[in-house]
Amino acid sequence: MKPSRSHLKIEGVQKDYALPQGNLPVLAGVNLDVAPGEFMVLLGKSGCGKSTLLRLIAGLEGASQGTIRLGENPVEGPGLERGMVFQEPRLFPWMTARENIAFGLRTGTDEKEGKETVERYLALVGLSGFGGAYPHQLSGGMQQRAALARALASHPEVLLLDEPFGALDALTRIQMQMEILRIWRERRGTVLLVTHDIDEAVFLGDRIAVMTDRPGTLQDIIPVKLSRPRDRSSAPFVKIRRKIYNEFFQTPRKRVK
Amino acid sequence: MPSPRTNGKSPLFYRLILPLIVPALVLAVWQVLSDKGFFRTSILPSPLAIARTLQSLLLSGELLGHLKTSLLRVFEGFFIGAALGTGLGLAMGLSRFLDRALSLVTGLLRPIPTIAWIPVLILWMGIDEGSKVTVIAVGSFWPVFMNVLQGVKGTDPKYLEVAKLLEKNRWVVLTRVVLPSILPSLFTGLRVGLGIAWASVVGAELIAASSGIGYMIMYAREVSQPDVMLVGVVTIGLTGLLMDFLVVRLEQRLLKWNPHPEGGRA
Repeated sequence: MKPSRSHLKIEGVQKDYALPQGNLPVLAGVNLDVAPGEFMVLLGKSGCGKSTLLRLIAGLEGASQGTIRLGENPVEGPGLERGMVFQEPRLFPWMTARENIAFGLRTGTDEKEGKETVERYLALVGLSGFGGAYPHQLSGGMQQRAALARALASHPEVLLLDEPFGALDALTRIQMQMEILRIWRERRGTVLLVTHDIDEAVFLGDRIAVMTDRPGTLQDIIPVKLSRPRDRSSAPFVKIRRKIYNEFFQTPRKRVK
Repeated sequence: MPSPRTNGKSPLFYRLILPLIVPALVLAVWQVLSDKGFFRTSILPSPLAIARTLQSLLLSGELLGHLKTSLLRVFEGFFIGAALGTGLGLAMGLSRFLDRALSLVTGLLRPIPTIAWIPVLILWMGIDEGSKVTVIAVGSFWPVFMNVLQGVKGTDPKYLEVAKLLEKNRWVVLTRVVLPSILPSLFTGLRVGLGIAWASVVGAELIAASSGIGYMIMYAREVSQPDVMLVGVVTIGLTGLLMDFLVVRLEQRLLKWNPHPEGGRA
């Protein structure tokens, strides 16, 4: 990751899936402006379209309407300035951790420089000494660290994280949350994290975009003005968590335009 | 604490001794019944008689000569069949156009048993080495082709997505993602294909052969030498077992990244 100077602008994004019974709207008119270097969290239930939004930003799918821009450039497909980590590590089982991370390097990277980058990111994610291990020899958390390093190896400005800790046990998840904060603070890139875990959202995000479902829209954007490291049991933390909880389970839905 | 699977007995027992008990028992019973005169020796010679014939055929070099001829034929045919199977499987797996264009043809040809080609091949290619090698090539082609085709089609789209995100070109996707991911299927195909190639050597040597294990068996039948026949049959079995063992070993060496090799325990 490298320091980001570009705004990520999502304007009027709509996504329909064509089904035999007609169009299924997944996202309806999403507007979001993510500042350079911001840690933005997309929070919502399963199936609310938050992962779809992330895939649109990654360029894996195209929006039915609306535009997504990073700086001046409209997103029209995948690009190395946007790195992505999925819920499952998706490491290639036939490559060692080191080879997997090297696969993330930009094509044409100088060999010596590439080697240094790979070793640096192995160390950054705490996998020094495990570079020669194959994915099946690593724990779930370690695999996800390697996947993170692979996404970082091309120095993206924006890191897209699609429920990256969702499959990990609770203790490993907390540890990984602290790791991702550390890496984000060192690198100062923009991070967009998708999650359905309110606690995780409040612990990590500068702002939290709360999504409604079917079709997905932004219900509210909640700033978290707490200094880091955040104490999950402190009163302000709990207050924000309760506010978000109420967004889901009490208030009638309204849309942010 | 001993692991439950080995039941407290040593791994040596399970790996080496247990598999030998059943064949040893069969041979012992067979020998005893032969000694008591239950079988006519002109139809079923005793294990010891077969062993003596095996020894003399080995010492005279006759058996190894036949074995060498057959192995050369099998390797030649297998190499051609496996190469064509891999090539066509890859081509059809990667190109939807080719897949549609050729699926009817391959679907039609595949159920035809190899042995049915023998008269046709004799007509087309004569009774030389060419038709024998072709029979073996046809036999080994299908399993390799089918497994490679399924392997390419089954490449996990999640891996392809990662390559797309990292802006890799088609060549990198093919060589670093698709090809490695099909290696387990390719090995399954090669293993089955080599087995079929070896098993069809007798059929191939039905075509006017003058040497080879298949020829040796057929000739022994004509001159009523059941012991030589059975030496030939046992040699085919043992050689096939050894080849399979070697392929599985090769797979374990080459695919050490694969925690669940399809070859299983050797």
